[in-house]
Amino acid sequence: MASEEEQNPLVPEIPELVVGLLAFGIVFWLFYAKLVPSINKVLDERREAIEGGIEKADEAQAEAQRVLEEYRAQLADARHEAARLRQEAQEQGAALIAEMRAEGQRQKEAIIEAGHTQLEADRKQAAQALRQDVGRLATDLAGRIVGESLEDHARQSRIIDRFLGELEERAEEGVRR
Amino acid sequence: MSADQMLAFETDCHIFDGCGFPSPGLSSFLFKPMFEVGGFEFNKPMLLALLSTLVVCGFFWAAFAKPKVVPGKLQMVGEAGYDFVRRGIVYETIGKKEGEKYVPFIVSMFFFIWIMNIWSVVPLAQFPVPSLIAFPAGLAGVVWLTWMSINFKRHGFVGGIKNLCYMPGLPKAIYPLLIPIEFLSNVLVRPFTHAVRLFANMFAGHLLLLIFTIASWYLLNGIGIAYAGVSFVMVVVMTMFELFIQALQAYVFVLLACTYIEGALHADH
Amino acid sequence: MSALQTLAADGIHGSVASIGYGLAAVGPGIGVGIIFGNGTQALARQPEAAGLIRQNQILGFALCEALALIGIVMPFVFGK
Repeated sequence: MASEEEQNPLVPEIPELVVGLLAFGIVFWLFYAKLVPSINKVLDERREAIEGGIEKADEAQAEAQRVLEEYRAQLADARHEAARLRQEAQEQGAALIAEMRAEGQRQKEAIIEAGHTQLEADRKQAAQALRQDVGRLATDLAGRIVGESLEDHARQSRIIDRFLGELEERAEEGVRR
Repeated sequence: MSADQMLAFETDCHIFDGCGFPSPGLSSFLFKPMFEVGGFEFNKPMLLALLSTLVVCGFFWAAFAKPKVVPGKLQMVGEAGYDFVRRGIVYETIGKKEGEKYVPFIVSMFFFIWIMNIWSVVPLAQFPVPSLIAFPAGLAGVVWLTWMSINFKRHGFVGGIKNLCYMPGLPKAIYPLLIPIEFLSNVLVRPFTHAVRLFANMFAGHLLLLIFTIASWYLLNGIGIAYAGVSFVMVVVMTMFELFIQALQAYVFVLLACTYIEGALHADH
Repeated sequence: MSALQTLAADGIHGSVASIGYGLAAVGPGIGVGIIFGNGTQALARQPEAAGLIRQNQILGFALCEALALIGIVMPFVFGK
C-alpha cells in the first residue's frame, strides 16, 4: 500500500494478505475438488491399462507356448505315425513278396504235378494202346505164321497176357540181375 | 520516497547529467492503487496474484478437466508437473500412504507460488508477487495452521506440545535449555523463516534485476554506453538465474511445508 | 568512535548496511559451501541415492541461505 511514512517490508499489508489467501484458496479448492481426483482417476486407469496389457501379453505368450507345445507334440506324433506306417508298409511288402513267392512255388509245384499226372496218364494210355496193338499184331502175325485163325478171342487174350507176363518177368529178372 | 513517484525508466536521468544513480529500494516495492473500492485499495501485485490464480487454474483446467488415458500434449505437460510434485516432493518426504491426502494442497501451492514468482521476468508484469511479505506470509500461515492442526489432532494436546518441544535421547541437564528453544524455533521461528525465505529471495532477486536494468538505462550517455552493454548482458544473465531461483524457491517452500507436515505426523524427530 | 558517529549522523547508513550484509553473508556462505561439498561427496559415494541426497542438499541450502537473505532485508527494515 502506498503510505507516506517509511515502510517496514516485514509487516504484511492486510489487503494483500487477504487477496493472496483468496487467490491461493481458489487454486487449492479447484485442485482439491476437481483436478486432482480427476487426474488421479485417469492415472489409475492408465496404470491398470498398462498392467492389463502386460497381463494380456503374458496370456498371449502362454497361448503361443501352448500352441507351440501342441504343434511339437503333433509333429512328433506325425513322425511316429509316419515311421509306423513305413514299417508297416515294409512288413506288408515283405509279407506280400513272401506270399507271392509261396504262391509261385505252389503254382509251380501244381503245374509240375499236373504235368507228372498227365505224363503218367499218357504213359499208361500209351502202354495200354501199345499192349493192345502189340497183342493184335502179334496175334495176326502168329496166325499167319501158324496159319490158323485164332479167332477165339478169349483164348487169344489169355495167351497174349501170359506171353507178355513172361516177357515182363524176364525183363524184371534182367533188371535185377 | 513514496509509491507515487515514477519508475526509474520514466526519469530522464543519465550518467554525467549531474544526477545521482536512482538506486532501487523499498520504493520499488510500493505501488499506486489502481482503483479503490470502499477503502480497499487494489494494486498491481494483487492483480498479478489473481492473474496467477487464473493462469494456474486455466492451465490445469485445460490439461486435467477432461483427462484421457492416452494424454494429449497439454495433459502430458500437466502430468509431468503434477507427477514431479507428487512423487518428487510429497511421496519422498511424507510417504506414499499418508502423503496422498496432502497432494492437492502441495501441488496447488507449488504451482501457485511458481507462477507468482515467474511474473518477475514476464514483460509488463515484471514484479515477483512474493516479494511482498503479505503473500508468502499468508501461505506460510496456511502451512503453519495445517501442520499445527495435524500435530494436535494426531498426538492430542499433551502429545502435540511434547512433539513441538521435546527431543528424546539427550542428557537430562540440557532439557531446561532445550525445551524453550525448541518450542520457540518450531512455533514462532519456523513460519517466520518459511515466509521470509521466499520473500527475501524474491525481494533480493527483484532488486538485482532492477539494479542492472536501471543501470543499463542510467549509463546510456557518452562513454557510459559501453558499460550499459555490460549491464544489459548482466540483466539477461540475472534473468536466467532468476528463472532458476524462482523454480527452486517454489520447490523449497513446498518441500519445507512437506517436511513440517511430516514432522507433525510422526513424533520424535 | 566519534568518526563513526559522525558517519552515522551524516546518513551514510546504506553503506553500513552493505557491510552488515557482507558480515551476514559469511556464515551462510561457509554453510552453503559445506552443504554442497558434502552433498557432492555423498553423491560420488552413493550415486544410487541421488534423489534423496539432492533433496536434503537443497533443504539444507535453503535453511542456510535464509540467514543471508534475512541479512539483505534487515537494512531495509531498520535502515532509515
